[in-house]
Amino acid sequence: MANVHKDFHGALSYGIEYLHERSGDEGVRAFFSGLAGTVYRPLVEDLRKRGLPALREHWQRIFDLEGGVIAFEMQGDALVLTVHRCPAIAHMREQGYAIAPNFCEHTRIVNDAICKAAGYAASVEYNQVEGRCVQRFWKAAS
Amino acid sequence: MISCTEFIWVYSELFRYLDERGGKDEVFAFWKGISDNFLGNLREYIRTEGLKGMHKYWTHTLGEEGGRSILTLYDDTFIIDMHDCPSARLVHQSGRVAPYESYCEHCRHLYPPLIREYGYEVDYDVISCEKGRCRMTVKRPPGAVTPDAPARASDS
Repeated sequence: MANVHKDFHGALSYGIEYLHERSGDEGVRAFFSGLAGTVYRPLVEDLRKRGLPALREHWQRIFDLEGGVIAFEMQGDALVLTVHRCPAIAHMREQGYAIAPNFCEHTRIVNDAICKAAGYAASVEYNQVEGRCVQRFWKAAS
Repeated sequence: MISCTEFIWVYSELFRYLDERGGKDEVFAFWKGISDNFLGNLREYIRTEGLKGMHKYWTHTLGEEGGRSILTLYDDTFIIDMHDCPSARLVHQSGRVAPYESYCEHCRHLYPPLIREYGYEVDYDVISCEKGRCRMTVKRPPGAVTPDAPARASDS
């Protein structure tokens, strides 16, 4: 089982703030988009190969490890992930860490990059204050 | 959401990203920023309990992060002997990212300067970054005023 050290969410939040301060929205987007070709390359390949079940299994594993509260449903051909309790936001609040104002944007950027690289598309609507979001994933029109 | 189980790879990639755009000075500035802005909990442990606080802090964090290490606490010394750093292992042995060449240097920039602010002497020695081996030794110098050895009224 993977080791879970949730303070890393706080460090990531500081990293987002730092990037934004130094290079604005474009810098944040450039950095996090690039992760699809490195950190998330295995997920991209799995998504391309197996489709939406790969994403569903990824999210299930991650949120189980971190103790998030989520639900899945299919809406037509789209996989919908509803996060009722984001473990990152919850932990940072519990520990009193500063949370970058644009923290949740990294989810949009990383999801977009992963999906685009695999021939899929994504959207997210979030409420960062409440630590909730709805993420959607579907196969992009070819 | 980037999971905390994926964070170390992202961290390493962020170091590389900053280095490629601003050079080492930009990476050092980022590490200093983390030390100054993010490690408030470590500061609180040191401020209230000195060496014992450091032992508590790393017992907790390394307990969660995994790996293999020995923490030693003497009256005047605290030592971390890292035998298998969980984060260096992910960076250097997982194949997930191309390891950032100075990855292990972040610890040297994050922790010793912060600890020295409280009156301690700190040595940080990387033995092998690829193998995840290092040692940090924190000593309270004789006669030094530190949180766990405050100045006596008769000294002032």
